[in-house]
Amino acid sequence: MKGQTKDLTDEELHQIVEKAKTNDNRALGKLCEHFYSKIYRFIYYRVNSIEDAEDLTSEVCLKVMKSLPEQNGLFYAWIFRIASNMITDFYRRRAVRSNVTSTGDLIEEMVDEKRTTSELLEQQELRQAIKHLTEEQQQVIVLKFIEGYNTDEVSNLVGKSAGAVRAIQFRALTALRNMFASDISIRKDGKD
Amino acid sequence: MEQNIELLLDNCIDENRKGKSVDECLANYPQYANQLKPLLQLTVQIKNLPLPNPSFEALSSALINIGKEMERDTEAKVIPEELVPAQRDVLQNRFTSPMKKRKSFAILSVFRKPKLVWALSSFLFFAVIFGAVTVSAESLPGDILYPLKLVTEKVNFLLTFDSYGKAELRLNFSDKRLNELVEVFQQSNKLDTTLLKNMLDEAKLALEENEIPVEKASILTAKLNHVSAYQKTVLENIRPNVQTTERKVIDEAINMCNMRSRWMRGMMDEEYQEQFDEQDTIPQSQTPRRERQQPKRMQWGPGCDWMR
Repeated sequence: MKGQTKDLTDEELHQIVEKAKTNDNRALGKLCEHFYSKIYRFIYYRVNSIEDAEDLTSEVCLKVMKSLPEQNGLFYAWIFRIASNMITDFYRRRAVRSNVTSTGDLIEEMVDEKRTTSELLEQQELRQAIKHLTEEQQQVIVLKFIEGYNTDEVSNLVGKSAGAVRAIQFRALTALRNMFASDISIRKDGKD
Repeated sequence: MEQNIELLLDNCIDENRKGKSVDECLANYPQYANQLKPLLQLTVQIKNLPLPNPSFEALSSALINIGKEMERDTEAKVIPEELVPAQRDVLQNRFTSPMKKRKSFAILSVFRKPKLVWALSSFLFFAVIFGAVTVSAESLPGDILYPLKLVTEKVNFLLTFDSYGKAELRLNFSDKRLNELVEVFQQSNKLDTTLLKNMLDEAKLALEENEIPVEKASILTAKLNHVSAYQKTVLENIRPNVQTTERKVIDEAINMCNMRSRWMRGMMDEEYQEQFDEQDTIPQSQTPRRERQQPKRMQWGPGCDWMR
């Protein structure tokens, strides 16, 4: 998996979680270290700044540590759900979600700044484009292509069927492709 | 139909992840190739995005926040002063025996003294930093502490002032990158080309970045010869297990290590010959000391530079 650090087996992870539930400091530290960067990456694509991503990751960590005794079921599904809820709360508090959800906004931005396709394909642009996907599309794209989970694993993590995950994945990639395609057509029109 | 294409795209993504190229993945579905190709290419681009990693400061601050929160939880168990004695007794008995209670209050009273809290916090902060630096030495790319490892190396390098020491550090870093490359390869069966490049760059800089005192130049040359030969052997050992798409890269690297090793051996022979000639032609009393003590700037030969 691309985004995974030193992978723990399910059994190892389960043991660490169980120890952490008993306030074992070493287990808590190890657990935090293990999931911190995953959560950070998960959040990074859904907020507008690194500072927000770091603050939210920190909040998620706290929430996870506090709620750990109540945790049951798939650990990662649980923390991704916490992260997802906290992102929703974050946008509710700041009421800025509206400026990052619409793909139309990005296309307008492209037109305004007359960017070229090659520039759009630059990594930073692609990251920005991902941030313009809908919430569930971002989740699936990040888990699948940044964290490297397969469809079945993503389906467990987001609590949707594999078919639904495939559909979201298809729609997300099509939306991203359309962002690039419209830029190409704009460029062609400009030349004509 | 739309269901089918979603499934086909997913199959192609899986095959691509297993090492097939985009075109190979699409060969099984020629009728959908036009539709699927741009989407698959997009997935490759997303997968190639550099991973956004949190800063070390962010992690430290998260750990500090967790520590504070846990401390607050502990304090919350302390019975409020305003409760009447009877209530306090009842509540206290729920948490601790009277003996234990007195001890725990004695410990908690430390937190009411700002200077002590400051000293304790500073100690904890440095302990966390020291612990993180120590643990980071074993980290690999992608680990949360790996950036700290690189920063530590950079600081170490900046605090080394003699050129030979810097060159030796470079060799040390090159060796570390090789070890990391092998470890990552063993874990994921993937050749990390960034590590490979860094390994080759560090070894290259060991020779180029510094003016080496002439008396140590031959030692450095010998070490570089050894390092290059060792890197070549290690890369040759992992080559059979490298995916076919990565073979070209590893072959180039092996070839380069070989060239470097040969270049160093050539330099060693040259130095040996120079010394031999000098002993033959210059009487001991006329040895041109000043000229011999000039630091030496050495360079790699053709084929020793990583062009990627």
